[in-house]
Amino acid sequence: MNQAEVSKLVSQLRIKAPTRLRKFRNPKGPEERLNKMRKTVTALVKHERIELNFPRAHEARMYAERLISDAIRYGDCHKSTMEMADYWLVEKQLVHKLFKVLAPRYEHYNIACTRLLTAPRPYPGPEDKKAILELRGNPYPSLLPDTTSNKNLIHNILLDEAKKAYRTRKYAEIAAKIVAAEPNLEKPVVAANSDQKAGE
Amino acid sequence: MNSLSRTWGPLKSLSRSAGYIIKRNVSSTEEYQRQGEIFAYEQKKQTESVGRIEKIEVRYEGQPENCIFTMNKNISTPYDCAKHLGDKFRDRSAVALLDGKTLWHMHKPLPNSCTLELLHYHIQNPSAVNKVFWRTCSFLLGAVASDAFKTNIGLHLHSFPSPSVKSGSFIYDIQLDLENWQPTKPELKVLSLEFIKLCQKELPIECLDVDKDMALEIFKNNPHKTEQIPDIAAHNGEKVTLFKVGPHIDISRGPMLPNTNHVGRVTVTNILKLDTDIKGAPVYRFQGVALPKFITLNHFAYGLIEERGRILNSGRIPGDYDSLNEDNSFLAHASQ
Repeated sequence: MNQAEVSKLVSQLRIKAPTRLRKFRNPKGPEERLNKMRKTVTALVKHERIELNFPRAHEARMYAERLISDAIRYGDCHKSTMEMADYWLVEKQLVHKLFKVLAPRYEHYNIACTRLLTAPRPYPGPEDKKAILELRGNPYPSLLPDTTSNKNLIHNILLDEAKKAYRTRKYAEIAAKIVAAEPNLEKPVVAANSDQKAGE
Repeated sequence: MNSLSRTWGPLKSLSRSAGYIIKRNVSSTEEYQRQGEIFAYEQKKQTESVGRIEKIEVRYEGQPENCIFTMNKNISTPYDCAKHLGDKFRDRSAVALLDGKTLWHMHKPLPNSCTLELLHYHIQNPSAVNKVFWRTCSFLLGAVASDAFKTNIGLHLHSFPSPSVKSGSFIYDIQLDLENWQPTKPELKVLSLEFIKLCQKELPIECLDVDKDMALEIFKNNPHKTEQIPDIAAHNGEKVTLFKVGPHIDISRGPMLPNTNHVGRVTVTNILKLDTDIKGAPVYRFQGVALPKFITLNHFAYGLIEERGRILNSGRIPGDYDSLNEDNSFLAHASQ
């Protein structure tokens, strides 16, 4: 019997999903694990940038990606998507944000809609690895240094030179084409000139 | 070029990967040893000549905060000051700026009280740092090339012109005992790999000012450098600045980077035969491109830079008709 391909049932995420799920510490059982995830996903949708421990951020990212991906794919008239949104977003006003703000924002993205960055941990302090999880296109200032606007940085100088070399080559090609077509062009140019004179 | 090198190519590593093992270039190791001994002797002599330790005041300006260091005269280096500031500042600093005008090698002892700034790759106008980076890459390219060829191929480093990032590639002009050699892609790849291996060794780059005679002694087996040294010394108060990475020693005005681990991505892009009137074997221009490890770039954009680096660099072509030294390097810089 052929098994249905999972990739045809659900849309593929643009992040690498781990093969096994993390267990975390759950005295109240597996449901509690999902409750933790719901809390984090809700916070992410609400604040758009959160700082937390790395394992939790890495785990919650998958659920957030899936939720937004489904919201884009099926829209707000799809029953099971709406149930999912209702489950994952603890604060209900965020359901509106998901369908009316986030889905249009990521509609035309061809990369993941969340970004996960490792963050420094306080020293001395607890040794847990920290991470920052954010939704792309958020209104906050960028976390990564700006390497594109300063034209004096070494890679920008090199790229500029590469651009110039490319343009010179292209102009040379165009010039060569024009020269090659010159004998054919000559007559019409003369004709146009004579027409103008006639017009005057 | 004998039949063997025609079969396997001129590079050591390629022949090894082809299953043919050639012993290490004995003459070049002996030469390295001889040069290294002289360098170490001179270095020791200079450190011992400091005598009684005097204190100087170094006023540091910049992040994380302005402060004053009390350092040892002619012993402490800008690198020592950077160590007091923390790992981040120690590792990212490419070159020191003394009194707001003199660029200073990170491992060169400070002679006087001064103000100190540490420059890195992300400052607002990093043209000085870029030049230092490009010069260091040329220097390292010389080190890579002089160790990459087989014993039976004569090789003499000639010079590299004053660094210009806008020319699209860093270069080293090398006299090679090969007629009309056109490197294949695997050969260029091997040279790039050797370059990367050198950078991964995280070797510090040392700096030393020596007398003309000492320099002539160190470079007595290199006819080009021997010719260039008197001219260089005449423009630098009878002193010649030497730089050493691993066993390789070269002349340059400097300054250079403090360590080879500053180089991130690097490619040897092309080797082109130059049309010069230098006597003896033909001179080849080795070209490459590199980026500091602190600057990350996607592979597509880096590919564009590599592509640009294949075009013959417009740097001055060495020859008998012009004055002998290029970056080696004082005339070129004096005119800037």
